[in-house]
Amino acid sequence: MFGKIISADVRGIEGYGVSVEADISEGMPVFLMVGYLASEVREAGDRVRTALRNCGIPMPARRITVNLAPAGVRKSGSRFDLPIAAALLAAMGYLDAEKLGNVMIAGELSLNGEIHGVPGILPMVEAAKGLGCKYCIVPKENAREGAVIPGIAIVGVGHLRELGELLGPGNKGFFQEETSGTDLEARCLGSGQAQAELLETPDYSLDFSEINGQETVKRAAQVAVAGMHNLLMIGPPGAGKTMIARRIPTILPPLSIKESLELSKIYSIAGMLSEKEPLIRRRPFRAPHHTISTAALTGGGRIPMPGEISLASNGVLFLDELPEFRKSVLEILRQPLEEGEVRISRSYGTYVYPARFMLAAAMNPCSCGYYPDLNVCTCAPGDVARYLGRLSQPLLDRIDICVEAPRISYEDLTGRGAENETSRAIRERMARVHQIQQERFKGTDYHFNSDLGGAGVERFCPLGKKERQLLKDAFDRLHLSARAYHRIIKVARTIADLEEEREIQGRHLMEAICYRAMDKKFWTR
Amino acid sequence: MEAYWYWFCHELYLDRVWARELLGYYKNPEAVYRTNEAELLKLFPRKAARHLDFIKKRKNWVISEEWEKCQDKGIGFYSCEMEAFPQTLRDIPDAPLGIFVKGELPDPGLPAIAIVGARMCSAYGQVTASLFGRELAEHGVQIISGMAAGVDGYAHRGALKAGGKTFGILGCGVDVCYPRQNRDIYEAMAISGGLLSEYPPGTPPLPYLFPIRNRVISGLSRAVLVVEAREKSGSLITADLALEQGKEVYAVPGRIDDVLSRGCNHLLAQGAAVADSPEGLCRELGLLMPVPKPADGKNKKSLESAELLVYTCLGFHALHIEEIRKKAGLPLLQVMRTLVSLELKGYACEIRKNYYTLSSHPQGVS
Repeated sequence: MFGKIISADVRGIEGYGVSVEADISEGMPVFLMVGYLASEVREAGDRVRTALRNCGIPMPARRITVNLAPAGVRKSGSRFDLPIAAALLAAMGYLDAEKLGNVMIAGELSLNGEIHGVPGILPMVEAAKGLGCKYCIVPKENAREGAVIPGIAIVGVGHLRELGELLGPGNKGFFQEETSGTDLEARCLGSGQAQAELLETPDYSLDFSEINGQETVKRAAQVAVAGMHNLLMIGPPGAGKTMIARRIPTILPPLSIKESLELSKIYSIAGMLSEKEPLIRRRPFRAPHHTISTAALTGGGRIPMPGEISLASNGVLFLDELPEFRKSVLEILRQPLEEGEVRISRSYGTYVYPARFMLAAAMNPCSCGYYPDLNVCTCAPGDVARYLGRLSQPLLDRIDICVEAPRISYEDLTGRGAENETSRAIRERMARVHQIQQERFKGTDYHFNSDLGGAGVERFCPLGKKERQLLKDAFDRLHLSARAYHRIIKVARTIADLEEEREIQGRHLMEAICYRAMDKKFWTR
Repeated sequence: MEAYWYWFCHELYLDRVWARELLGYYKNPEAVYRTNEAELLKLFPRKAARHLDFIKKRKNWVISEEWEKCQDKGIGFYSCEMEAFPQTLRDIPDAPLGIFVKGELPDPGLPAIAIVGARMCSAYGQVTASLFGRELAEHGVQIISGMAAGVDGYAHRGALKAGGKTFGILGCGVDVCYPRQNRDIYEAMAISGGLLSEYPPGTPPLPYLFPIRNRVISGLSRAVLVVEAREKSGSLITADLALEQGKEVYAVPGRIDDVLSRGCNHLLAQGAAVADSPEGLCRELGLLMPVPKPADGKNKKSLESAELLVYTCLGFHALHIEEIRKKAGLPLLQVMRTLVSLELKGYACEIRKNYYTLSSHPQGVS
């Protein structure tokens, strides 16, 4: 007697099919599980046997073998409980083998037969769709999450009994008593409807119009968002750096469906999707505390889980008090900032998580926070340099836009005469700029102006004769480095895009020069 | 003989009173070298009991070798008996016995002015220090300072930019660059001017060495200019020493609410002379009158109206773009563009990130 169930596992953010096979044959009574299983999968055997017995189905006293294929890949997690139970039921003849061919099953069992939610449903459902499945039976808690993927029907189940009702032969349940019986089709969550309701752009509770004053920083933040440039804000405590950073996601254009799905997959694996919000529709804003460890930031664990930088994908990673972060933590950001993904290697394989985020960082100009206002600043001459010295040059080199926020004045605080633009208005403008960049970079590896390297700048940001002369002057007079030079052109390209200007003009370059990365000379002498 | 002086200054720079007593008795360092412990103990029972190490160790010290080592490093040594030893320095109370030099000594035929001030200086101090340093140096004045962070460093920088001579009086050996961030001027001064110290080569920058060397700063100069100083500041010690030595003291006035100008304003209240411009200072000191700059009025005509408006908003106190925007009443983007173009034309200077002042170098380098 043999039963076979399609299930799925997750590796990185991608799901892949796993077939769960059960065989019951003559021989000494034994329960064997094979297929390169982690210990939590091995424990599934006990959970499944007990759950089945508590639902009134005793294990036959025979030789039972369960195999999870492909056998060469290590499987972990509790999501195989339900498919193992289903495979056993199929082997015992309680399920209709014909119905099983196009159903993917995943879920965790409790000892009384109840089914609990598991992380990673989204990529699993996607994998099932790729395998040609028509239905997915998933825990009730995860049903709405799975329903996000179009073109595949999702059935949420809360108890082992329901599984029998759905997959049993005819309308008869596999449990002794008669049940009303339900058709798989009738129980499906209408995926189309789920999508429509999910695609509405959610409102943010914050708005850019709430910020008075700090026009320079606000403008810099908008330029940064327009080209997805990384942003560093320097200023005394209470200048409004965090306030502005929190509002950056509200001016980012809405997530596309593709971005949203990718992001939701990451959150699904991290177990951070709720029944209420099964699809991430808001741009994420992640603001880890400065005591964060490297593993929590980039992802880690024996089975690597996505870290903060992946959870911030397509959104904003905000590092407040940048110099307070441990040096090793900051240095590890360099590779993801460059490549837009993070690779975590383990002896049994390398996991790749997306990490294409906009870095927004804020810091005080010195450890007391008030430099260069020397009437208030209590730092010794060396202290200021030392404070900045905690940031390495390679990291600063990856930050295109840098602004200093002054102390806020009373007029700005009370907002007299302030007429601020709303997030919605800015968002629309940003969407247009992103559109322009998409068209420009069609067929290349670039997404935004900020991705351009030296060669990209040459190709996509040609300068006129006058503009070149201007940059030459600036290069000589302001002692720019080669990196700063390219960054200024990139940022100028974004500023020109904001004006929907085809050519980079002198005025764009001049504004970009104002945002150029901070020069260490301001701190050291 | 020089070598013995070298040994003497090398061993006894920390205890100048004892050194003078010894010289008073033995007349020259060679005689001190040839004496022995017993004799010293007999002659100076109280002092010698505690300070005999230098005599005990002298046999391990091959004078000629050490002397050569020092010469090889390019470090010169002038004892107070040498003719080249600056006369102005010889005249001050508690004059140094000898001086180590990397580079050259100040030219006694040219005027020398000390510019001193706070290490943690504001943009105002930074601009004025380099302005005075540059303009004075342009008119042949040698700039003396302490090569410390802040005002000292900017005064040296200003002088170097004008191609003038400038001398750093260090609180450590002349082969030690302290503070490290002043490496650039340390190297430049060894070529255009000199690094001077009464401490032997290799002496680390110990805190108690610095106030003592201040008397050398004022001693070498004709007048001392204090640019920015807090109420309690090492620069005020220098000013006091200058008065003791009979030198003139000038102070750059500041706003009364600036903590960093309190010391200067206090000096002014006590009767120090006001240094309101480099030209004024030169005139006061009876130095060559600088040729008045025709540049300003003429060049400003090349500015556009917006540039002129923003230019008039700038001063020696640093202003953030935001403040300039409010003052000028122009849109943010225009202000940013205008500031950059003013900076490129050499009228403005971004002194800290997004903070601007008038350029202290109208024609030049930031």
